[in-house]
Amino acid sequence: MKFKLIYPKWEKLEGQTTFNLPPHGPVVFAATLPEYVDIDFVDENVEPLTIDNSCDFVGISMMLTTQIKRGWAIADEYRKLGIKVMFGGISTMLHAEETLPHADAIFLGESEGRMEKVLDDWRNNRLQKVYNFMNNRPDIALVGPARRDILNRDLYYHKGVQMVDLFHASRGCHFSCYPCAVSYLGGRDFRPRPIHKAIEELETIENNRLFIVDNSLAQNTEWEKELFKAMIPLKKNWCSHTIEDKPEVLELAAKAGAWYVYQAVFDTSDYIRNRIKQYHDFGIGVEGTILLGLDNQTEDDILRLIDFLLEIDLDLAEFTVLTPFPHTKAWDDMVKEKRIFNFDWNDYNAGKVVFHPKNMSAERLQELYFHAWNTFYKDETQNQKMFKLFRQVVTKEMDEGTYRSRRMDLANSSFGQKVERKIASL
Amino acid sequence: MLNNKKYLDTIYNYKGEWGIDSQCGLKISSAANGKTVIIATELYDKNPGTSVTQWNTYLATELCIKNGIAPDKLIFIEHTPDKGSKLAFYNETFYKVDFEWDGKKFINPNWEKIPKETVEKLLNG
Repeated sequence: MKFKLIYPKWEKLEGQTTFNLPPHGPVVFAATLPEYVDIDFVDENVEPLTIDNSCDFVGISMMLTTQIKRGWAIADEYRKLGIKVMFGGISTMLHAEETLPHADAIFLGESEGRMEKVLDDWRNNRLQKVYNFMNNRPDIALVGPARRDILNRDLYYHKGVQMVDLFHASRGCHFSCYPCAVSYLGGRDFRPRPIHKAIEELETIENNRLFIVDNSLAQNTEWEKELFKAMIPLKKNWCSHTIEDKPEVLELAAKAGAWYVYQAVFDTSDYIRNRIKQYHDFGIGVEGTILLGLDNQTEDDILRLIDFLLEIDLDLAEFTVLTPFPHTKAWDDMVKEKRIFNFDWNDYNAGKVVFHPKNMSAERLQELYFHAWNTFYKDETQNQKMFKLFRQVVTKEMDEGTYRSRRMDLANSSFGQKVERKIASL
Repeated sequence: MLNNKKYLDTIYNYKGEWGIDSQCGLKISSAANGKTVIIATELYDKNPGTSVTQWNTYLATELCIKNGIAPDKLIFIEHTPDKGSKLAFYNETFYKVDFEWDGKKFINPNWEKIPKETVEKLLNG
């Protein structure tokens, strides 16, 4: 059977460098399909989608809230052609009720071990409207390796430099962070993959630069250390969300190839300052993630925070606006207080203000968001800072003998589009 | 971690959105004028499923039916407990939730933040 798997496009954030990474949800899902399924994958962010009847069944994989209206529109067109459409992925789970009218089926939960039944139902014309596995997570040992072969690889290069591949070593999160829906999506139990399964998958990934997309690796110290020890021989370099700040863990992470981490910066405390320094002491870069618009933030707080970021020698910073996604405490609080004024999911991209902040107007928060980006990158652009971080990993790869030079056949294109290369001196 | 269990007599298990196993703290108490106060406490990390806020209409309906409470005699309070965090959004709050009754279930929740003193008065008559 011909299965068209689609990853809908979304509008990229204003003023930021666009990097299209090979999407993770679709390749993880593709691994759960039986071998007889002929998968045709289209990432609409890097290639055009032609909607026609050349397929038997359509799957739409959606990660972001800002993707869902496009996903619905695509499904509507396919259904007009008489082709059945099933939705899955993170934002399908967050917006399940609204997605139902656009779907022949929605899949809620994790699809490992489940798709034979779904396809059997489709074949026998008894596809269910909802496949609900929210309460029934599969054995974590069934996960992977992801089907990265479905990707059109050449489209994930920027001027000849390959983008990182995404990988996950665990699911679930026992933390209960204010703006986050992960515990709803993946459960509150931390579910680490068996180390040998994680390594088995890493060995299949040719790319030597990765993004480990686990919610937090810092949920089980012993497992985390074992994972890093096992990764050392693979000589991959990677970025991730937070890792545990114990010296023995950081030392192992650095040996295992930790390139840089995303670290939430929520105040101007010595705790944050020291945490950044600690990562740097182990040769690990830091991209600060800064959430603007929290109720305890005044305008002065935000301005002070920006100054602080410039003091603490962050390698990169990513500013986002607090966005009340469904199934988060942020959503619950904002709904109770009637503070959300915009329910257009296209605008739920963490770059647009959709609620009334407590200590300033929505317009002022929006201005401060742009001010934060412009100020942090005033003396060195985002591209220049990224180049420095990139140069670190290139140096390491050269030392290790794992460096691969850029692909000159793709030097004049960026994610499938022709671009002009500017050779600038730094 | 819940620092204050004053408003919680029992842990109540319910099926949340898409049947997901969920839990909240529960206190049911008689108030003056023949009404019944239900305080549903959000358990955060201990709630594996749907939040009280997201599920309040179903939760309130279910609790009224199970406990023989007439819809017009219900005072439903959502309680978020003090997590002992320095982050302000984990401070203790109380919201009185008014619903409409469609003949079979509660719909259209409307929240009103109330001070602890009001909750105390409701509980103590």
